[in-house]
Amino acid sequence: MKMNLKMELVLLALFSAVAGSWAFLEHDSWITVELKHSLASDGFSFRGNVTIPSLNSGLANVAQPALTEVELDILKTLARQNEFYRLKATVVYSNGAKAQFLTSNKACRLLQAQLNDVLWISLDPSGFVTGITVSEDAAPGNAECTQEDLDKLAESQFSTDVLIRHAELAPVPDTAGFIQKVEREREARERGEVRDNRGFFAKYWMYIVPVVLLVLVSGATNQDGAK
Amino acid sequence: MQAKGMLAGLSALLLLSTCSALYEDQIKKFDWRGVNVGALRQSRVDLNHFQPRILLSTNEGVVASVCVKTGEIVWRQVLEQKPRGDIKLLQVSGFSDDSSDTAAAPIGSNMGFDMLTVQGHAPALVRGWNTNMGALEWEWSTMPLNTERALDGLWFYSRSVLYHVVPTWKSHLEVTAYFASSGHSTGSTSKVMASWITPENCLLSGTYYICVDGKQLISLDLVSKSGQAFRTALEAEPKSKLQPLAGLNGVLIADGKLISVNKDQAVCSGLQSSSYAVGTFNYRKILAYADVASGILKINAVYLDNCSPVAELEQGVPFPEHFGTPSLNSFDCKLKRNGEGKGCLFLFSTSAESILAVQGGRIRWSREEALANVIDTQFVDLPLADTEGTLENEMKGKAVDFTSFERDIVSAFLRRITTQAVQIRSLFLHVIGLGPPPTATQRAGLVRDSFGLHKMLVVLTRSGKIFGIDNISGKHHWQLYLPNVKGFDNAEQMRLIIQRSAKHFPLQPLCTILAQDAANGNGVLYRFNPITGQASEGGLLQLDYKVKQLSLLGETENDFVKGILLLDASNKVHVYPQHATSLADGLYLYTADVKTSELTGYFVKYAGGQLSSTHIWNVRLGGHNSEQQIIGVAGKNPIEHVHSQGRVLGDRSVLYKYINPNLVAFVTQAPDATHKSILNLYLVDVVSGSVIFTMTHRKVRAPLSIVHSENWLAYSYFNEKVRRTEITTIELYEGKSQANSSVWSSLQAPPMPLVERQSYIIPTIVEALRETITERGITNKHVLIGTSSGSIVEMPWHLLDPRRPIASTTQGREEGAIPYIPELPLPTESHINYNQTIARLRNIYTAPSGLESTCLVVATGLDLFVTRVAPSKTFDLLKEDFDYILISIVLVALTSGSLIVKHLASRKLLKQAWK
Repeated sequence: MKMNLKMELVLLALFSAVAGSWAFLEHDSWITVELKHSLASDGFSFRGNVTIPSLNSGLANVAQPALTEVELDILKTLARQNEFYRLKATVVYSNGAKAQFLTSNKACRLLQAQLNDVLWISLDPSGFVTGITVSEDAAPGNAECTQEDLDKLAESQFSTDVLIRHAELAPVPDTAGFIQKVEREREARERGEVRDNRGFFAKYWMYIVPVVLLVLVSGATNQDGAK
Repeated sequence: MQAKGMLAGLSALLLLSTCSALYEDQIKKFDWRGVNVGALRQSRVDLNHFQPRILLSTNEGVVASVCVKTGEIVWRQVLEQKPRGDIKLLQVSGFSDDSSDTAAAPIGSNMGFDMLTVQGHAPALVRGWNTNMGALEWEWSTMPLNTERALDGLWFYSRSVLYHVVPTWKSHLEVTAYFASSGHSTGSTSKVMASWITPENCLLSGTYYICVDGKQLISLDLVSKSGQAFRTALEAEPKSKLQPLAGLNGVLIADGKLISVNKDQAVCSGLQSSSYAVGTFNYRKILAYADVASGILKINAVYLDNCSPVAELEQGVPFPEHFGTPSLNSFDCKLKRNGEGKGCLFLFSTSAESILAVQGGRIRWSREEALANVIDTQFVDLPLADTEGTLENEMKGKAVDFTSFERDIVSAFLRRITTQAVQIRSLFLHVIGLGPPPTATQRAGLVRDSFGLHKMLVVLTRSGKIFGIDNISGKHHWQLYLPNVKGFDNAEQMRLIIQRSAKHFPLQPLCTILAQDAANGNGVLYRFNPITGQASEGGLLQLDYKVKQLSLLGETENDFVKGILLLDASNKVHVYPQHATSLADGLYLYTADVKTSELTGYFVKYAGGQLSSTHIWNVRLGGHNSEQQIIGVAGKNPIEHVHSQGRVLGDRSVLYKYINPNLVAFVTQAPDATHKSILNLYLVDVVSGSVIFTMTHRKVRAPLSIVHSENWLAYSYFNEKVRRTEITTIELYEGKSQANSSVWSSLQAPPMPLVERQSYIIPTIVEALRETITERGITNKHVLIGTSSGSIVEMPWHLLDPRRPIASTTQGREEGAIPYIPELPLPTESHINYNQTIARLRNIYTAPSGLESTCLVVATGLDLFVTRVAPSKTFDLLKEDFDYILISIVLVALTSGSLIVKHLASRKLLKQAWK
């Protein structure tokens, strides 16, 4: 069995700039996740361990041994039958509490992605895991696997990215901002700084309309005169 | 550039004004309101008042007076919500359980009140009412020392004094007397030791507190000075719960027999009936009783003094099954008509929550109070008229064998000719009056209109009664009653499902009710035709398992039925009807446990004629110790169409919507040490089990209303910190590019949508939220906000939009977004029910009509309100006041004018040519 230690850095910036600013836990802690997958003839077999020393930073240590031949065969069989690859994750918190999660994806997709998968860990506001989802980066591919797809598989080693989804703080009605805005506008008006940003026609219609009318009227009388 | 800005501003103004009010002459043109009072609790029929009336109190906390002749409400007072508005006692002046002032008491005698009610327990409110107008005249209240014990408190009235009895189980009774109209205590609270009292075995009959103890009754006269308990032997131990008999002091009903514990009150013990009532006839006290036997409601009466039967009152009334089991509530007879039984009016309450008035051997009127507790509604298309039906058939035939269409031109032509011949013949026969008689539905006017605005409103109520109501006239076309059914555990109600719509012409539409058997908790299916109300496909089907989850399958090919997939308690999958089983293959299901806040996902597979379910994911929203409780689940309407895939930004680029049909919002609430109470929102993809988004509110709590549609979500809650109701809105976007524009797959979904969010203050209390829905989804979406004051506000999504810019940037203006204002406006012209207040508004349901612009709305609560809304105005419909005559005259005048002028001109030309 070959051990492979892989570090994955997760950039919270990915979660868009807005989300990032709120997505922090008040009390940081660590968790470990034990992964088991349904690649044994009788239920679940060990896949690997994920350790996240700090939920806020989101850094994860992933330790996953390579798949055995038997497991690969089962995976291929599952893919051929378009079955689910099921993953059981046992989360152990810093206080020793445990919670078990189950997630599934099509085995075929896992093969098409060359065993590259992403483990999404969703957290609730107090840092407890609500759900773990395994997914593959959107790869072009058919819904069902052909023999060709199965033969293409070269890897026997999972390469897993761990991403953490933090809970975010909900917005509150921005009354202060609104009052400030109104105040600013009022002050600006008092200082006479208010710039008239109405459209050209909106501003000068009272001059334009008489001129146009005049032109029209004079044009009409000219026509009569010409006749 | 500036002109562009102005344009944007103008369009924003236009958008704002889309929400317009009703004109005065449109009132009640397409809306109606049904006013209910709720299931009958206590009533008093009074035919000898100068204005005959019925006064009643109901389980819904309503006091009302109804007209004796028609059953219409004369006045109604909706009291506070339960438990504060729970009516414990209704006492009408001149009627008392005490022998001294029953019957013989002068009518309208001055006891300081017309009618009084006692409601609630902490505080208990005593109110005096004017019975002619329903006006509140006086009120006093009393706050109990022990709130919990006061919950079991009982009240009775005797000789101008109101007694409050608070039992302490297995110990004693506390009796306090108050002067009824002033609330002054007559003395201190007296304690009566009674160690035998238990909540199950005791009741109050008049002034007697009676408990059953094996084959004995132990009674206490709470008014007597001695306070001695005495025992009465029974023949046998009562099997059912004892009931007091209103109107006789110290008399109770045990297993349909009358028993008196009052020595001064003799009763006719030989009678056997399910319900009794006491009244007067020919100035003599009588006892009436009523029972249903083989569809006939038999009413009998005996004189109380000698137990001889009152022959005049004996009557049998045919009793329709849909009313349920009746129970005689009260009756009264006219004094003037001596010797004739026709002057008596018997008031019944039934197990189907109807109120019935029987007089002179027939049902005089009935009120359907089950409608005060509507739990689900569906709009069903009406069937086609016969001629249109054959046409539809022909079209369908064409569509099906489209490939063979070309070589089949001759037969298609023949079919068309024969159809038209048939149509002409039926038209001719119809004209000369020899046509086939119209079917029952046609006679009732139940034929589809060209705009699909006329529909059958199928209403399911909590009592198990189902109604078919015309959505335009409000007429009840049919009624059904399912006895012995109830809602599910997990606070889930019964379900009303449309299995086949009216679109498949020769086949009748099919509706199904899924409920739980009240006796054994197993599932029950009831199939019926929603147009006629007749049972179909065998009607009632008792399942032999408990139902855990329900899902609808796609339509089958041969009979167009949408199968029902049921997940039972042991995670086995069942499909009804059986032949739709193969369609369940590849279906995803999820369940949510409210208590543990755990979600579980299943995959259903069909192989070798067997259905199996695989557990594929789970999500725990419960937090560490499952302190979080799910208080709201909101999925999207499955019939929804999203017309626009994106939103055009100010710079003319497109922001694509994240439209995931499998996205479900879950809201949990938990107490919190630092923030008092926190509310979490989770968006979960229920196919892949992925928690897409989590958001938390601090110092916020229920009541929660939530609406989820297209790519947005809006929910209201109460903010404890600033004590106001707020609405938070969320919009999800994929970004500037779309991952897969043709097919959505949750297993290959873009992982992280952009989430726009904003919160608004709403200056009212929100009871219900619902989005409008239209046929193709082109019309703007509005959110209907039901408020606690009983009005429905139509709020354009533009105002709830989370992208409303805080700083008024040009970009926001060009996008058409209105600058952010924290408080949402509630203009009176956007109240779609104008002054038709819906008491105790609980839910709003919407359905598309045949017109793209129009959405049908039904709001339920104590009252029922049906209307329609046009969020983008009726752009596909001419105005109702469109002047057809004027336009015809103008057209005719112009055409004829041009012809005449043409003629004149040619004559003139001819003349000129001759010159």
